[in-house]
Amino acid sequence: MKTKQLTTCAILAALALALSYVEGMFPLPVPLPGFKLGLANIVTLFALYTLGAPPALAILLVRVLLGAMFAGNASALIYSLLGGFCAMLVMIGLSRIHKLSVYGVSVGGAAAHNAGQVAAAMLTLGSATPAVYLPVLLIVAVFSGALTGFVCSLLLGRRLFRLWAK
Amino acid sequence: MSGSPKLVPTKYDALVVLIVLALAVALGARYWFAPAREAAEIIVSIGGVEAERLTFDDSEYDYTNNGYTVHVTVRAGSVRVDHADCPTQDCVRTGAISRPGQSIVCLPARIILTIEGAAAPDYDAIAG
Ligand SMILES: [Zn+2]
Repeated sequence: MKTKQLTTCAILAALALALSYVEGMFPLPVPLPGFKLGLANIVTLFALYTLGAPPALAILLVRVLLGAMFAGNASALIYSLLGGFCAMLVMIGLSRIHKLSVYGVSVGGAAAHNAGQVAAAMLTLGSATPAVYLPVLLIVAVFSGALTGFVCSLLLGRRLFRLWAK
Repeated sequence: MSGSPKLVPTKYDALVVLIVLALAVALGARYWFAPAREAAEIIVSIGGVEAERLTFDDSEYDYTNNGYTVHVTVRAGSVRVDHADCPTQDCVRTGAISRPGQSIVCLPARIILTIEGAAAPDYDAIAG
């Protein structure tokens, strides 16, 4: 890995960490703790397009582990881990469909992110009850996905994209 | 990874949005369009196992699991967690619930209170 790429990864991981801290202040409309809006997916999507899948995965791991350490909350780890991985898998798949823009990829990723969080809650609780919140969370994902898609389209805008992708 | 990505929404993006919304409606239909039922019982699930069924009479209960205790107050037609010593306090903030299908979750204690309606559909069916 080149130094420039390593630096980029570190900056992006720090940015993702900051985003997941910020979104902790906006709880989702479900009575389950630790659920995140998925703003850190901006970084995952940006990293996917500019650096490729392996660095994006590394950034995700660093963000999830450091985030759990700072929050001092091990139970939140499984949410961000499952949510983040589901989002990344779906976005890797969707980004290969060239008819989709960053918006479509981002909305799909947000939906997967929330489904992953619900799955994590079901696993932690050993109960199907959290599935009740999935429909609402999918609707939320359309809006949060559009937002992250918009931010990503700005970041990937020509000048920036050339600067980072070199 | 794939060269310069499209930055302006396409009609195929709308398709992704439609699929997500269709999924939400398909999954939510059973809750949103279910006929109104009368609240009949409160199911107390501890650690993923149904532990007790409560009826709606004025009474209070303490449940302890995972090192945390939640204090449950039942009134005619509603149930709430008054106080708990869990760190997140989401169970307390949920407030009182009264409709079938509603639930209060305490994640740290792994305790769930769910209101079941008269002749309620089984909620396990959704998870397969
Ligand atoms: Zn609690």
